[in-house]
Amino acid sequence: MTFQTIMSILLAGLGMTAKIFVITLAGSLPLGIVIALARMSKFKILSWPAKFYISFLRGTPLMLQLMAIMFGPYYLFHLELGTNWKFVACCIGFILNYAAYFAEIYRSGIQSIPKGQHEAAAVLGYSKSQTFFLIVLPQVIKRILPAMGNEIITLVKDTSLAFVLGIAEMFTQAKAIAAREVSMLPYAITALIYWICCLLIEWLLSLGEKKMAYYHD
Amino acid sequence: MTVMSLENVHKSFGKNEVLKGVSLSIAKGEVVGIIGASGGGKSTLLRCATLLETFERGSLSYGDLMVAQEVDGRTVYAKKDVLAQAKQRFGLVFQNFNLFPHYTVLKNITDAPLRVQKRDKDEVMQTAAQLIEKMGLQGKENMVPNELSGGQQQRVAIARALCSHPDILFFDEPTSALDPLLTREVLRVIRQLAEEHMTMVIVTHEMAFARDVADRVVFMDGGVIVEEGPAAELINNPQHERTRAFLSKTEQG
Ligand SMILES: Nc1ncnc2c1ncn2[C@@H]1O[C@H](COP(=O)(O)OP(=O)(O)OP(=O)(O)O)[C@@H](O)[C@H]1O
Ligand SMILES: [Mg+2]
Repeated sequence: MTFQTIMSILLAGLGMTAKIFVITLAGSLPLGIVIALARMSKFKILSWPAKFYISFLRGTPLMLQLMAIMFGPYYLFHLELGTNWKFVACCIGFILNYAAYFAEIYRSGIQSIPKGQHEAAAVLGYSKSQTFFLIVLPQVIKRILPAMGNEIITLVKDTSLAFVLGIAEMFTQAKAIAAREVSMLPYAITALIYWICCLLIEWLLSLGEKKMAYYHD
Repeated sequence: MTVMSLENVHKSFGKNEVLKGVSLSIAKGEVVGIIGASGGGKSTLLRCATLLETFERGSLSYGDLMVAQEVDGRTVYAKKDVLAQAKQRFGLVFQNFNLFPHYTVLKNITDAPLRVQKRDKDEVMQTAAQLIEKMGLQGKENMVPNELSGGQQQRVAIARALCSHPDILFFDEPTSALDPLLTREVLRVIRQLAEEHMTMVIVTHEMAFARDVADRVVFMDGGVIVEEGPAAELINNPQHERTRAFLSKTEQG
């Protein structure tokens, strides 16, 4: 196998990795807000399930969650979900898991906003949702960006867990090539690519932080 | 004409009754100072009037709007749309400003009129420009609050409250977070508003200011209004023992 072939297979795998990464963020970032709000609700019907959800998803291995979602429908209900299911199950697993982590980060941020901000907005007549989206959330995002950055960078590497479902993301491909060629090279290249991706994300995050550095409170 | 009226308001936090039947009504153009020792319920009264707290007994109205009414010994609040309407009639200036840190000065002032009141953009900008000039904030429009001094921030907060055209403006110790120099500039703009007959209720520890600026002064202690009357009269010649004790203490301090 030439170096070029190896690279083209790995980069195709990277495409799949990126797909999982983007879909996970697109799903779990908003879902995390919903769960955080439920978790902070004064209604126990909302806060208790949210607490349980967060505890369970953070307290069990992601790999196990992925397999449960992948195989659960068949073992529990004898559902045959076709070839597409693998990828869908993978995305659902990642979204549900990361939403639990994001929810706790959102919660810490939302609770750190002084009560006076809510009160000033209430007196000016802002509705509850206007207050949240216009006044609170922008300040929350600034405060939680570093913690979010941590999770997002972890996600880049966690996508490799999709190999347990046999999804052809980068790590799965590297493993296959390494076994066939009896070589460490694919692993080394893969490590480098993950790192480059993380550097790129770190750079984007620092841009975001700079953009919000125009104020502090 | 009565702009705001509180009647026989009772408010408790748990078992602690903080307001024990307070009635206060404010006429258009009137400036009322509220004084009293710490813990007397002054802030709680303002927070009840501005709907930041709910009370258990008593009633509240803004002009012809019944906001809360006592029915069979319990307060019943009006529907959401009435409350929203009432919120257009008052403004509140906080001790610690509570400006929105991520908004510029101009956006702090104009955002609620545009987004909540849905007023015309040109008109709001014009109103804001006038207020900025009146508050001595020219050139600060595009700064964010943390770039301003405390006195400037409080003047932005006053402009923000005024830009929504409230019928009445409440102040809760607007200068307590400021050093004496900055206090003076904030008191100056409040004094100017008083001269323009803006209806205001001001909780303050500045006795001289209350005496000079307010038409009427209310002394609160232990959750009740102990004494009220024309500002100079009440401060110079209090009738009640508790008022006298409080005033002599503040003079010494
Ligand atoms: N959210 C709250 N929960 C419980 N108790 C409260 C709350 N807010 C105020 N209180 C209590 O109510 C009483 C009156 O407080 P309030 O803040 O209205 O007094 P104040 O006259 O404004 O005093 P100060 O001059 O110190 O501002 C105090 O005993 C206070 O401890
Ligand atoms: Mg107070």
